[in-house]
Amino acid sequence: MKTLAADNLTGLLVEWRDGDKAALDRLMPLVYDELRRIAHRYVQHERDGHTLQTSALVNEAYLRFAGQRKVDWQNRAHFFAVTAQVMRHILIDYARRRRYAKHGGEVRQVPIEDAAEMSLQRAGELIALEEALDELAKLDARKSQVVELRYFGGLSLEETAEVLEISLMTVRRDWRAAKAWLYRRIKHDS
Amino acid sequence: MTPERWQQVEAVLQEALDRPPLERASFLDHACAGDQELKEEASSLIAAYDEAGAFIEQPAMAQDAHVLLGVDSDANRGRQIGPYRIIDRLGAGGMAEVYLAQDTRLNRLVALKLLPAYFASDDARLRRFQSEARAASALNHPNILTIHEVGESDGEYFIATEFIDGQTIRELIKTQALSIEDVLDSVEQVASALAVAHAAGIVHRDIKPENIMRRPDGLVKILDFGIAKLSESAEDLKAGFRTQTEMGLVMGTVNYMSPEQARGLVVDERTDIWSLGVVLYEMVAGRLPFSGDTRADTIVAILDREPAPLAEAPLQSIVNKCLSKEVSGRYSTANELLADLKRAREQLNNVDAQSNNREHHPSRFVWPMIGVLVLLVAAVVGAFVYNRSPGTSAPPEATAAPAKLYAQMSERERLDFVAAQEQRISAMMGDRPVKLNDDAVRTIKTYVDRYASRIDGPPGSDEGSTKAIYERAQPYVPLIARSFAARKVPIIIGIYLPAIESAYQPCAESDLGAKGLFQLMPQTARNYGVARGDMCNEEKMTPAAAHFVADHMAELGEDAESITLVLVSYNRGAQSVRDILRQLRGTENYERNFWTLLANREKLDEAFRRETAGYVPSFFAAAIIGENPETFGLNTPPLSSLAAD
Repeated sequence: MKTLAADNLTGLLVEWRDGDKAALDRLMPLVYDELRRIAHRYVQHERDGHTLQTSALVNEAYLRFAGQRKVDWQNRAHFFAVTAQVMRHILIDYARRRRYAKHGGEVRQVPIEDAAEMSLQRAGELIALEEALDELAKLDARKSQVVELRYFGGLSLEETAEVLEISLMTVRRDWRAAKAWLYRRIKHDS
Repeated sequence: MTPERWQQVEAVLQEALDRPPLERASFLDHACAGDQELKEEASSLIAAYDEAGAFIEQPAMAQDAHVLLGVDSDANRGRQIGPYRIIDRLGAGGMAEVYLAQDTRLNRLVALKLLPAYFASDDARLRRFQSEARAASALNHPNILTIHEVGESDGEYFIATEFIDGQTIRELIKTQALSIEDVLDSVEQVASALAVAHAAGIVHRDIKPENIMRRPDGLVKILDFGIAKLSESAEDLKAGFRTQTEMGLVMGTVNYMSPEQARGLVVDERTDIWSLGVVLYEMVAGRLPFSGDTRADTIVAILDREPAPLAEAPLQSIVNKCLSKEVSGRYSTANELLADLKRAREQLNNVDAQSNNREHHPSRFVWPMIGVLVLLVAAVVGAFVYNRSPGTSAPPEATAAPAKLYAQMSERERLDFVAAQEQRISAMMGDRPVKLNDDAVRTIKTYVDRYASRIDGPPGSDEGSTKAIYERAQPYVPLIARSFAARKVPIIIGIYLPAIESAYQPCAESDLGAKGLFQLMPQTARNYGVARGDMCNEEKMTPAAAHFVADHMAELGEDAESITLVLVSYNRGAQSVRDILRQLRGTENYERNFWTLLANREKLDEAFRRETAGYVPSFFAAAIIGENPETFGLNTPPLSSLAAD
């Protein structure tokens, strides 16, 4: 029987981490459930008058996700990255559906009594941000990642640096340049 | 703008932003001399930056949490998709959400599987969704979920299947004890469905308790040919191989994967035989045949380990044949398996019929009972040893004034001292006496030296000093001794684990989230009944840690002839201890203890060399100092002497 040597295992983990789209797809439903749990906690605390750091909640989600005593740092970073991507997908999809419904779509009609309805204005903001982010990615992929991790993933500057394996200083600079660029782009459009 | 031009603009922008606002204009004049466009670009970005304020500073979650909660649960209720009206959400199955819906044409209930819109743009996912439909709708068998329709409505893809009002096998084994009769009946139905699917060239590839449903009347249905592939085309096979490895590694569970799946090889129908074997084993034994602390550990078990035997002999040979690591050793068809299952059922019925004569048919519970007895005896004897050990009353060696301070000893004397004390600590841990080689003694001594060198700590930061650790420890010892003794764990382990884990800071938190005196992860703490908010509470954490260690002792069982391996498992998990032992079996002077691991560390993985190799020696060093405080110039009593009788 072939023995699975330690470096093989590392290989498997790396494969998972670097996972191309299909791997990410499989993670999404799992992460999606975690995100809803985070949202639930968030809303609950909001009602109680507390504010909660999204970053703390995402961290907690990862611990639940990993469920191990000692966890691999790389996987944690990967988890954060996937969480941000899933959050972005969900919100943008919802925003598009929302706008479509308003414009007379037949199928994706969101029920009027739905308390969770996203305001039309918010939907517009999100779609504008999405388009601007896509454009920024073509110009400077890392900056658009920084925004994705911070804005959609709720990560702190420090965690963003950890995930992208760049210095805190670089994250700060990327963030301010991206913010300026996105703001100008969106304002210009509207 | 080109990326190159953007780089240029950004450089100017960054430099300008580094300057006070009033200096920026003149900086731009200077930096963009002759390039008016560059200057305009940079100026407008600076203006945008100044104006942006709180723009995107709050994470989206702050604004949109309620949206996330509304998606799918409420938002989809009442929706009409083609002829189907959604009534309720049933759950999520891997890649899609599943809803209970009404077919408004035929007025019947269906299960409606929807591909979430955010995946619909994804070709690979769409292909898989359609391949599921194609594969499964080609099958017609009472034990395979019937597909009514595969469709698309305004860009939204769905599959409508018959709705089964029953429970998955997963839910069943969680909530009730199944009789062998029920188990065999269910597994036979699955096998007969697989036989038909395999004959049609379709492999399920994901047989697991979640994918098998049982109606209250006993009818079983296989669900979710989600990753099924028509195994006819070589192209498909190749694609299937890719999909399988990617998905397998990321999906919820690897527990039911066959070795060839785990290795990413091409699979055939015998992969389903394996997975069904795992399900059978789990239903009978109530535990998985292959499992580990991590996915990687589980894969190692699947590839290399034999499961513990089942109590039911007739089933044992069936399970063995399903779980043959070599594909060629397995049943070659589901029909062969089905025949053996039926035969086993008859045999078990006969046994039951004769079971009035129990003497010749030891119950399945006899062996476990004997095991429990042996453990009990061991525990009682062990507890006796621990209580009689120098641990609970002050050991004579330590009460007498030390002949010489450690600081005054020569290298040779230090080595001898460490070697002798290691033996003493081992005895207090109830360990078998093992004479350590020089390398092991030296390794411990390295740590003793290190701790001894900072008895008082660096000036001004006495919190991290060795002295402070032992002073902080004192009030906790009685509680620790009580908790650990109650779990039959040597108290010396409980006393010195916090010394190396948290330096006896009850609220210490690692950046991974491990917390408290014993540095348990929140998940572990929760598993042992301690809420996250209570992790600083030593009254709650200490019994939990004792329980955790006791479980590791029990789990490692005969694998740990030495308690040192339990320490390793505290650091690395029980599964990796087993893996390491297996890896080293057959090496020269092999013994089941940490010291063998240390001697062979070059053969072990980096994590072991980096962390675990030092973990047990540092534990011994902490105990040696704590039990010989005077030798190290400490005023504290030997910590174990503080344990209440």
